[in-house]
Amino acid sequence: MVRIGRLSASVAAAVLTAAALCAPAARAQSLQRLTVQTFTLGSDVGRPQAGTPFHLVVTLYVRENVAQIANLELPMLAELELLGDERVVRADSRGTTYRETIAVLAHRAGTIVVAPAILAAIDARDGRAKQYYSNGLTLQIGAAPGQGIADGVAVAASVGRFAVQVTIWVLGGLCAIALIVLVFRRRPAVRAALAPAPEPLVPPLARERSPRERLRDALTVLRAEPTRGTAVRARAAVWNALGASEGVTLADVLARTQATEPSLRGVLVALERAAFTYDADLRPAIDDACDALQRYLTT
Amino acid sequence: MSGATPADLRAALAQTIVGQSGTVDALLLGLLSNGHVLLEGPPGLAKTLACRCLAAALDGEFKRIQFTPDLLPSDIVGTRIFDQRESAFATVLGPIFANVVLADEINRAPAKVQSALLEAMQERQVTIGPQTHALPDPFVVMATMNPLDSEGTYALPVAQMDRFLMKVNVDYPTREEELEILERFAVANTQPLRAVATLDDVRAWRARAHAVHLDEKLKRYIVELVAVTREAQRVTVASPAGQSLALGDLIDYGASPRATLALAHLARARASMAGRDFALPDDVRAIAPHALRHRIGFNYRIATEGIGTDRAIDALVAAVAAP
Repeated sequence: MVRIGRLSASVAAAVLTAAALCAPAARAQSLQRLTVQTFTLGSDVGRPQAGTPFHLVVTLYVRENVAQIANLELPMLAELELLGDERVVRADSRGTTYRETIAVLAHRAGTIVVAPAILAAIDARDGRAKQYYSNGLTLQIGAAPGQGIADGVAVAASVGRFAVQVTIWVLGGLCAIALIVLVFRRRPAVRAALAPAPEPLVPPLARERSPRERLRDALTVLRAEPTRGTAVRARAAVWNALGASEGVTLADVLARTQATEPSLRGVLVALERAAFTYDADLRPAIDDACDALQRYLTT
Repeated sequence: MSGATPADLRAALAQTIVGQSGTVDALLLGLLSNGHVLLEGPPGLAKTLACRCLAAALDGEFKRIQFTPDLLPSDIVGTRIFDQRESAFATVLGPIFANVVLADEINRAPAKVQSALLEAMQERQVTIGPQTHALPDPFVVMATMNPLDSEGTYALPVAQMDRFLMKVNVDYPTREEELEILERFAVANTQPLRAVATLDDVRAWRARAHAVHLDEKLKRYIVELVAVTREAQRVTVASPAGQSLALGDLIDYGASPRATLALAHLARARASMAGRDFALPDDVRAIAPHALRHRIGFNYRIATEGIGTDRAIDALVAAVAAP
């Protein structure tokens, strides 16, 4: 199912909502019990080009048979335009494969860093609530294909890379076939017993983002998506970074942070305004919140 | 219009009234929300003084009605008397025709007098004989109740309590405030309060408060706050004996939809008083006890278990997550 439009906000907010996961014990009751086997983030194109759509693919394989995967937060894609999203969940007796394909578009050449996807779940092996992180991605975005020598060089380079890749694949395939043949020649009469599957590698738990990093994420997201929803999520992320529990009000957070972080007051007040003001005042309120966050982060 | 703000009015009241900032703010909120305020507290806590000062600071008309068991409805709303010289009935308007009316010890009068007052509060008009008279605008009733002396009182029915926008508990001043009272009032009479705002200012403040933006999330929060008073079984509170009690067992009935409206009006008024044109969760939470206190039917166990109504309301408010 392809969902287009308003995806930016939902995906961009992933990092913000991920901040809410820093209290795993409190949310443990709502987490799924999963045995995570693989959790990866990849791109279908080795070197995407600006102006040409490509796909980011989040793949998760768990040992349990589940109908859906909950509490999976996609990475923030503030520098990429989101074009669509397709989610497939396949479950059978051996486990469940979750695959989410996000169509994106880069508008400028350069390096774009995509943060890891995050999954919150209870590890079925030890019963503890954990956050699993996929690998992150560093994408080198090439210049948009155009006319002139530069484009010709780029196309030639692209063709060259393709040729090299094909060669590597062919050689690799031949080596694999040769290896198989050798193995079967050495033990022709013995029927190989089914070896137990190796213990799957569980991706290491990534370092939790610091409160300051979370505030920086909030600023990035607010600037990229100046909407009410983003403002509300940025507010929640900042509160969470400050250790405020859900359901409290600004007065509680101010009282809590007054002693430790007096300079945060401006940020909190500005975000509160952005979350609750009327529509005509929303943009100025978000601009003020961004300025306040920027000021705080530069101090 | 003088261009004065609610902050100017508050500052003027603070010149005469020591402390009691909660009471003063409640009176201002009532004024901005076009609602009536019920003040409950022991005698001598400047309830009457606060109301008198409010009227004086507004350049409005102030009337005080001392409720007694022999009071009649006509003593409040007015009556028609026969003028022998003119050979016709003439209407004499009662003390309710004022901008700020202090109904002192409202629970000392019987139900029919209370009804006459509360009907006027609701309809903002009074019918005397064949004529209907509109009450002045602004028209705010500040009623007081004395919780200590319940001999010879007529409890206000809940349906009538509901007509009050808010009920404020007036508490004793702090030691510092009491010292200030001593220094300010024991020496000489204070200067009478000058008017700092006009009635037109009040009407403008009300219009501004009415236009304050109330976000959808806040509306849902308000509805949840009122709903939890009707579903209080899921909220627990610890008794002084350390026993965990379900609040549902201490409440006979929850707040009415009028409480929902009151919360919205008061949240807007509070935001406007703070100079904002949008309300915040803090506005709703701050005024929630005032708007809910007199609208929840607590049963006898709230007293026998040693849990005050305010503690129960705090627990109800805390049970709803702010947006």
